[in-house]
Amino acid sequence: MFACIIPPRSRQRTQPGDIQPLQKPFLGRYTPQTLWSLFLMCALPQHIWTLLLAFNDISWLTDRTNSWDAIGVLCYGLLFAFVESVLVFIVAAILGLLIPKNWEQNRRLALLGTFAIVLAIWGIVSQTYFLLGWRVPDAWMGFLVQSGHPARYIYSVLVVMVAATFLLPAWAVLRQGRGLKFLNALIDRLGMLMILYLVFDFAALIVVVIRNL
Amino acid sequence: MGRELNRRDFLKLASLMPLSLASPQLFKLLGAFASADVARQNVLVVVFDAFSGLNIPLNGYARDTTPNLARLAERAIVYHDHYAGSNFTTPGTASLLTGTLPWTHRAMQAKSLVVAPYQRQNLFGLFEDYYRIGYSHNGWANILLEQAKDDLEELVPWKTLFLGSYDSFLHSLFVNDNDIASVSWTRNVNLAEEGYAYSLLFSHLHRVLQESRDPELTRLFPRGVPSTGDVSSQFLLETAVDWISNRVARIARPFAGYFHLMPPHGPYHTSHDFFNRFRDDGLKPVSKPDDIFSDNLSYATLLKRRTEYDEFIMYVDQEFGRFYEALQGSGLVSNTWIVLTSDHGEMFERGISAHSTEVLYEPVIRIPLMIFEPGRETRLDIHTRTSAVDILPTLAHVTGKPLPAWTEGKVLPPFAEPDANRRIEVVRAARNPGNEPLTRASTVLVRGQYKLQYFRGYPEKGVDELAQLYDLEADPEEMTDLAASQPDVAGELLAELKAKMMEKDKPYM
Repeated sequence: MFACIIPPRSRQRTQPGDIQPLQKPFLGRYTPQTLWSLFLMCALPQHIWTLLLAFNDISWLTDRTNSWDAIGVLCYGLLFAFVESVLVFIVAAILGLLIPKNWEQNRRLALLGTFAIVLAIWGIVSQTYFLLGWRVPDAWMGFLVQSGHPARYIYSVLVVMVAATFLLPAWAVLRQGRGLKFLNALIDRLGMLMILYLVFDFAALIVVVIRNL
Repeated sequence: MGRELNRRDFLKLASLMPLSLASPQLFKLLGAFASADVARQNVLVVVFDAFSGLNIPLNGYARDTTPNLARLAERAIVYHDHYAGSNFTTPGTASLLTGTLPWTHRAMQAKSLVVAPYQRQNLFGLFEDYYRIGYSHNGWANILLEQAKDDLEELVPWKTLFLGSYDSFLHSLFVNDNDIASVSWTRNVNLAEEGYAYSLLFSHLHRVLQESRDPELTRLFPRGVPSTGDVSSQFLLETAVDWISNRVARIARPFAGYFHLMPPHGPYHTSHDFFNRFRDDGLKPVSKPDDIFSDNLSYATLLKRRTEYDEFIMYVDQEFGRFYEALQGSGLVSNTWIVLTSDHGEMFERGISAHSTEVLYEPVIRIPLMIFEPGRETRLDIHTRTSAVDILPTLAHVTGKPLPAWTEGKVLPPFAEPDANRRIEVVRAARNPGNEPLTRASTVLVRGQYKLQYFRGYPEKGVDELAQLYDLEADPEEMTDLAASQPDVAGELLAELKAKMMEKDKPYM
């Protein structure tokens, strides 16, 4: 699957900031640190998006119910975001099994992290499309409605587009030393930020438990 | 006429003598039979949520939203100036069920309950010797039914009339906080309403899963399958109508049924048959100035939503027509009092859409009321002002029950003389706890041609107190506030309204 972007073995060199060689292999491919970093990368965009929209909803919800219910909606939102993050992480980790075993951990993480970020960006773009009020031309809508399977067509096109947009950044990350270094540094920093969001998730869990007592 | 009685005629008349002597007893006996007949008549209240009385041609609306109601009106009593008790589900429904206004039953906030006496003093308590059955699509109304469940032989679980969904498990997972969990889940995955959702990926997966459940539903409901707004609570009105008409045909009689169905409450997901029926039809509602409580929605947005709402009303109309025919088929129409009404209205003006608003303009508080009286074959139009709290005493009256002392309603005409001094009151206090005095509330008093709208305690809008006066006869669109030009009228109505509020607040001072 990734044949076109696998660097020639002869060119693979250890870069500064590289994650250390496989110590405790998971299915022969991941260290716990790689998995943790990958999870954080999968969780970050989802949490940012959830928090942005949930905070945007809070005043509307408070007006119509009360502050406690508005906080409840936010907390459930964070829990659902956590569950979604875990599922995306599992999918990404499984996809990572397709990557040859001899890849270094930092390259494996960079590639899968790129995959997670590109996927999230597409998710955001698809929603921003509606947030900005753009409309699908009526002729297209007519075709989609008549087809009986509008979502099937839309997502088929989307899969092709996501795949295409993934290949370019993945190539940049893996073939360019700077790209790889940049992405590893980014993963380090964003991972720290994501840990803060996990604290929010924990607080949200407590709120949800209290609300369900 | 002038001929004399012959012997044969005399004997015929003489044979009736014992009967005429016994006639007082006979008539009493016949009366008792008649009462027994009345007492055996069923009562069926059908509530369509958020159904504005001003969006139906029976009340002069320009769009033909309700051809079936127009047809059925020919054998009904049609009330043209009927008011809800409030402008959203919890207080509006509680007013219907208890025959009292929100300042009395105190279920003023969303999801709140009526105060203790009204747990039993309600429609179901009134018909204690009937088979009592209740159902609501609307979760907030269902909370009120659950509160009254000791007086119900059958409280139909609200999930009964929803479509199955892969995410239904959430309702049992968060059983003590179902409402908010559902709201959050909906905001997480429901791209259909706003076009965006908290979830970046689940939301798309959700859409595919929903569509793959039954592709035919996607075609039949181009704006989405009808729902409560919660994505895991989708329903078909057809299913509900079929289920209810089958059920009431089978239960013990007499029965008293209360069925609260969600449409035309938003989201306005009409069926394929009515999709785009009114699009670009040239309707131009009166443009009204933004209110202090305006959400600043544009005229175009409001018109679009109004159009979708009107198309959804057509779906309601179609299904009520089918429901009535099913009742006819089972013979229930001839011995059942059928009441068609709503819990509150809906508005699309002054920058405000739907009913989550503090204002109490006519579209959001005027609701339809049609009563199908057993045996009635002619139409009767009632133009005097009536209130949702009148339904309970009216049903008591027509079924031969004593009028409950607790109700604030009056027996509706034509079953009683119209009250020339009738006051109509409407109360919204969604942010005022029920056990506290009314310090943050919107209220309305309609007396004669005048309507006073009184706001109290909205500091975020710069409103400590605000009174607006409208002349509903000269200005039915409520365009001109007369409070400044007719201070005497406004002052008199305001004093009366404040005195009433104070009286109702006494137990909570």
